[in-house]
Amino acid sequence: MNKNSIKGLMVLMVAGLFVLSSGIVSAAEPIVIGSPLSTAYLYGWAAERGIKMAIEEINAKGGVNVGGTKRPFAVEVIDTRDLEPGVPVSEALLAVEKLILDKKADFIMGGPVRSEAALAAMSLLSKYKKVSILTTGVLTPAYHATVAKQYDKFKYCFRIHGEAKNIVGEMFANFTELREKYGFNNLFIIAQDVSHARGAAKVMNDVAVKKGWNVTGVEIYPTGASDFSMGLLKAKKTQTEIINIWMDMPESAILLKQWYEMKIPALPFGSTLAAAEQPGFWKATDGKGEYTLCNVVNAGNAPSDATPWTMKFYNAYTKKWGVEPEGLGTSSSYMAVYVLRDAIERAGSLDSDKVVEELEKTDIMGVYGRLRFDPKSHQVIPALDPKEGAVGSILQWQAGKRVVVYPKSIAKGSILLPPWMKK
Amino acid sequence: MRFSFNPVSPEFQAENVMEILIYGTINSVSLALYALGFAMVYGVSRLPNFAHGALFVISGFITWSFLNTLGLNYLVSIVLAMVATGIIGALIYQFILIRVRGMAISEIMASYAMGLAILEGLRWGGFKGMTYTLPAFIEGSTELAGVSVDYQRLLVVGIGVAVVALLWLFTHYTRIGLALRGMAQDERAAMMLGIDSDRMAVAAMGFGSMLAALAAIVLLPLGNIVVEAGYNILILAIAVCIVGGLGSWMGAVLAAFLIGFAQILTVVYLGAHYQMVVALLAIILTLILKPSGLFGRQKELEERV
Repeated sequence: MNKNSIKGLMVLMVAGLFVLSSGIVSAAEPIVIGSPLSTAYLYGWAAERGIKMAIEEINAKGGVNVGGTKRPFAVEVIDTRDLEPGVPVSEALLAVEKLILDKKADFIMGGPVRSEAALAAMSLLSKYKKVSILTTGVLTPAYHATVAKQYDKFKYCFRIHGEAKNIVGEMFANFTELREKYGFNNLFIIAQDVSHARGAAKVMNDVAVKKGWNVTGVEIYPTGASDFSMGLLKAKKTQTEIINIWMDMPESAILLKQWYEMKIPALPFGSTLAAAEQPGFWKATDGKGEYTLCNVVNAGNAPSDATPWTMKFYNAYTKKWGVEPEGLGTSSSYMAVYVLRDAIERAGSLDSDKVVEELEKTDIMGVYGRLRFDPKSHQVIPALDPKEGAVGSILQWQAGKRVVVYPKSIAKGSILLPPWMKK
Repeated sequence: MRFSFNPVSPEFQAENVMEILIYGTINSVSLALYALGFAMVYGVSRLPNFAHGALFVISGFITWSFLNTLGLNYLVSIVLAMVATGIIGALIYQFILIRVRGMAISEIMASYAMGLAILEGLRWGGFKGMTYTLPAFIEGSTELAGVSVDYQRLLVVGIGVAVVALLWLFTHYTRIGLALRGMAQDERAAMMLGIDSDRMAVAAMGFGSMLAALAAIVLLPLGNIVVEAGYNILILAIAVCIVGGLGSWMGAVLAAFLIGFAQILTVVYLGAHYQMVVALLAIILTLILKPSGLFGRQKELEERV
């Protein structure tokens, strides 16, 4: 072997090592997902678990193919505490900014969880051009309306779970059925004093009046309220048949216990009724929560056969975390990671604008149906049939089990009335 | 958005009188239970115990743990939890607060820091979520003058009255109780009579913490045990004590009834939305109109000037 050949071989070896080593670095360099979540609350920790589980599954299969390079996902979670009473919105904004600047998050996923905080964070996401997928908590229609109104500024913001207007529609579909079946006509609304719940209560009130319902009262309780007796007595006195509850604070369990103890002859029909969403609710209330209905926003947060992936996810989650998916934000947080992977792979890059373009083209069959975003508002498209879009789930506690009663396409049972209000 | 029928109509008022009386009393006794421990500690040692809410919450979790993790009998769990909370309170005083005694701002900061440490520690230890509950002492409900009310709430009233009565007997007929009263009335004079100021302060903190635990054990079966409740309990206890007059136990009881009924009346006539404002408004009005509170022994502003 002459000198030139040796030199050539050395150059090749060095070049090979360089390529190899750069390849290893690239493969090892994770795509950082920053998750601002209120981790002490159900909607926070359930989202965290969903995201982490999806990341583990994707990484176990080699990671994300970014323009030919396999890169793993990594997640950085900061507790925003935004679901806690008295915590200012600025705390959540600090968390988002820290994730972007300090933790070098490539994408934001999960929260902020409270609507007020999420709306305030939109400008930050716009400023740093960070793609964000909301997966839990935030239900305010103002979020996707803001994206639609100022698309160029807020195009980085997506939401992959249901929102309040759609939930209101789902509730009324059930109310109408109850009216036809039992002749119900009196509706009492109880809401927590937070943006999405106040807004939803107002919408419920307006829609109910338009649909011919007699709204017997609307009570807004401050976050942290721990006595609901007077409101419940008002409901009882006005012959209310359905109590519609919009409350995600832990004290909602007190409301339901009081409802049972006072034997209020009205069906508690909640949305974002966090206490009743959890599988541990039955044991915690000694069965006093039986007949409580709540909307867990998307399928997969309660057992159903919406798609072949639903129970696969449900069982895998139960096995991994030792508890069934507990409520709003679980299946959507899990799916958001898969949707993001899909968009990144199609974009072949982490560039925000390219990923936004690809997210808008999302069309995959997920845990809770066909997942697509409205290209103008970036809100996941809802449907009653999982083949058409993202389906919701309304469950009722029956004999210790969370039984999905709506939509009919995935229902496992129908609504039952408590014995003290049998018609 | 308001309740649809006319709240000033005679029929409405007649229907509501009993509801307001019954639930106003229950709410007032609950507030008194929240506040008695805080009032006792301040009355004896002039220490504003800002860890009071945290002690309330931790006693609930201790009871839950004895009951569910160790599988102890409910009554045994309750007694042990009260003793444990009393010891925690006494230790907080003995090792932390004693060092800043007499420095009001430092006392507030130190006790608040201890409260935060307890609450955040509980959260860090996994005590989060809405599924931590204590069983009701008596299940079921009854009707009082046509108003539906559950037995546990009636028990709250009974226990509340008993606690106030026992507290009065304790502070009038036992050596420790008399010593605590002596401290509360005039610390220097009490010391001249051989009462150990620091030992009494430790005892007061211990008893105050046990009262917080008792309140928790009686009231928590109505709902669930959550860390965040600690802040709310603290605010309500402070509101009651400020309105009643810092240092006055009977003032605290009276203030509890004032605020308790004001809250219920607010819910009935203005809406639940304004319920939380009542306690805060009571603090503000008291500080403006009568800074020493209803029965406070602090000199009024004019006198001090």
